[in-house]
Amino acid sequence: MSDKRPFFVGYLPTPRELRLLLISVAVAAITAFVVAAWAVGTTQDNPGDGRLRFDLGRQTIVGVLETSPYPMVHVTHGTDVIATGETLMLAGAGKFGVEPHASRVDSPVVEVTGVLLNRGDIRMLQVPNPRRNLKAIDGEGPSVNSKNLGRWRLAGEICDGKCLAGAMRPGRGIAHKACAELCIEGGVPPVFVTTQPVADHEFMLIANGDGEPLNSELLEKVGVYISLEGELIQRGSLAVFLANHESIEVLP
Amino acid sequence: MSVKYVPVQWGRFKVIYDVIAITMIMGFLWIFVNVTPGILNHDPAINPQIRNMRAFGSCAFFLLTAILMIGPLARLDDRFLPLLYNRRHLGVLTGFVALSHASFVVRWYFVFSPTDRYEALLGTNTAYDQILGFPFEAFGIFALLCLLVLATTSHDFWLKFLTPRIWKDLHYLIYPAYAAVIAHIGLGALQSTENPTFGVIVFLCASLVIILHLAAARKEHRTADAGVSSEEYASWRKLFRADTVKEGFARVARLSNGERIAVFRHGNRLSAIANACAHQNGPLGEGRIADCIVTCPWHGFQYDVTTGQSPAPFTEKIATYNLRLRDGYVEVDESPNPYGTVVTPLAIPTPSMS
Amino acid sequence: MNLVILFVQVWGGIGAVVALVFLIFGISRIDEDARGALSFRPLLIPGILIIWPLVIWRWWQLTGTTTTSVTRSAPRESHAIVAVVLAVIVSATLFTTEAIRQEWPSHLAPIRLDQAQ
Repeated sequence: MSDKRPFFVGYLPTPRELRLLLISVAVAAITAFVVAAWAVGTTQDNPGDGRLRFDLGRQTIVGVLETSPYPMVHVTHGTDVIATGETLMLAGAGKFGVEPHASRVDSPVVEVTGVLLNRGDIRMLQVPNPRRNLKAIDGEGPSVNSKNLGRWRLAGEICDGKCLAGAMRPGRGIAHKACAELCIEGGVPPVFVTTQPVADHEFMLIANGDGEPLNSELLEKVGVYISLEGELIQRGSLAVFLANHESIEVLP
Repeated sequence: MSVKYVPVQWGRFKVIYDVIAITMIMGFLWIFVNVTPGILNHDPAINPQIRNMRAFGSCAFFLLTAILMIGPLARLDDRFLPLLYNRRHLGVLTGFVALSHASFVVRWYFVFSPTDRYEALLGTNTAYDQILGFPFEAFGIFALLCLLVLATTSHDFWLKFLTPRIWKDLHYLIYPAYAAVIAHIGLGALQSTENPTFGVIVFLCASLVIILHLAAARKEHRTADAGVSSEEYASWRKLFRADTVKEGFARVARLSNGERIAVFRHGNRLSAIANACAHQNGPLGEGRIADCIVTCPWHGFQYDVTTGQSPAPFTEKIATYNLRLRDGYVEVDESPNPYGTVVTPLAIPTPSMS
Repeated sequence: MNLVILFVQVWGGIGAVVALVFLIFGISRIDEDARGALSFRPLLIPGILIIWPLVIWRWWQLTGTTTTSVTRSAPRESHAIVAVVLAVIVSATLFTTEAIRQEWPSHLAPIRLDQAQ
């Protein structure tokens, strides 16, 4: 320490010898923050092409309602963008499902109004206020074709179908895990995204082995890359994976 | 200080400091929120709410890193001491940025649901028994609580009310907070990010903080002379040669109980006081002395080294120590005098003109 | 989880009462610098809401005695330990979180477990 070393006292004018250093520190600090914002901001992952299709307008379809394991509708009368014969998963507004209203509808045939969400093959209808937008109508629904696609071990990730399909961007991964669990607990249909297509399906609705909504063991693994076994069933155009939680393996 | 409290004590230096800090923060947020989406050009873009979470979250992390670098930097090179002078304002700003981050998270991930938002935040993911998919939000909540304790107790009133010791101990919460923030980021954002850039930057920031702290601790350990306790005279401790203390400066010595004293030379006289300032326990031994008055390098508090008292109108008092000379060596009585006790300085022989 | 939220509400509620009483009646009795200084008092409210037990404890201590004790040793003494502990915990955390990081397992093909019909 030399006697000439400048000594800083906060309430006195800053010593001349220190000014250059302090100005340099200030410039360096501001530059570092600007560069950091740039570096982190421009390297955010692409959230994928899922989106809420408000641009297509509200869709009103007629179809056969099924509520187990999660609400879905097999379209018997579609629109320009929803084909007749397609099976659509149903969710409510926000993190709500269309249950319990859907189970109280006392007719298999319903008229549903909502906004389409889609990401690749994943398609879902957001039905706000199900009481008004999910109504029973008269008529006989055709029987829905159901096919057993066999027992499989699949690798991938459990997501909530709505966020994944574009309600949130990004809507998957561990940072989003709690939100996804909240959605699924609220009644939004969960989906399993597989690493490679299975019988032409890149994703499937996932439920417990007994056909009930996801249990807590499966919920715990939402957002984590896992492999697990289960029965794959085709309901209409939708694949449903009835997963056995005891077979879960967390991937390395 | 015996001066009426004001909400914020601003001086010219502090105002400039705050302007720079706010420029840093606003610059960071503006670029992250308004400039980078156009460069990323994702179609569709990341949700503005999620972008805000990331912008405010990463900004808080960088601010915390900067704050934690200031202390060791100033210990390593005293020219950085001015950065310490207004660090509290930087801390309060960091608290606000972190709170905004939390607010964006709660008002996006935990709303629009049948469950109350705070219940959802605490109760949705409770898988505390797994590392992958661990409820990393808990670390964030803990860190935020720490930052809020620090920010809300930053006013000078708290320092006096709680005593510097408790206040400083409380503000050591910054360290657990930083560790929690690293765990929060590491178990959350870094697990679901493909691009490695943010991970690498977090690693570099944490490394810098750790290296600076270890270096400062090493230097701090070396600066104080341990001295030798003399069995002959129960409480006296032999320190160093009297002529090794430079005019206008102090040498710091460590006593057997771990406390530090600063032995100042003013004229050809030596005076010893406790090394911890009564304000925030700043290192008085690194201060400057003029006319028996030493100025603390941290916040400019002053003491007469012969009395341990602040000059009027101030009322701070610190401990003084008795010194004596034995064979050219300074010895100190390890038992301190009551705060503010007048001690006649120890005259030392003028070096012979050889 | 309701319990945690209830706890926070009760904690904050007591804090609010402490803040009110302390800032209106207590503060000027235990700190002469606060006498006549009103504008800074609202700034103390958030702090009191959070650490009110510490406030009550110090308030009680300060009412009992007239002298405040000043320490001779600084918390800086423990800085070296803190630095080492921080270094160990942060390094271990970053190492662990990097070690458990998953890559999207695109190489894993679906496996049919039963005979195709």
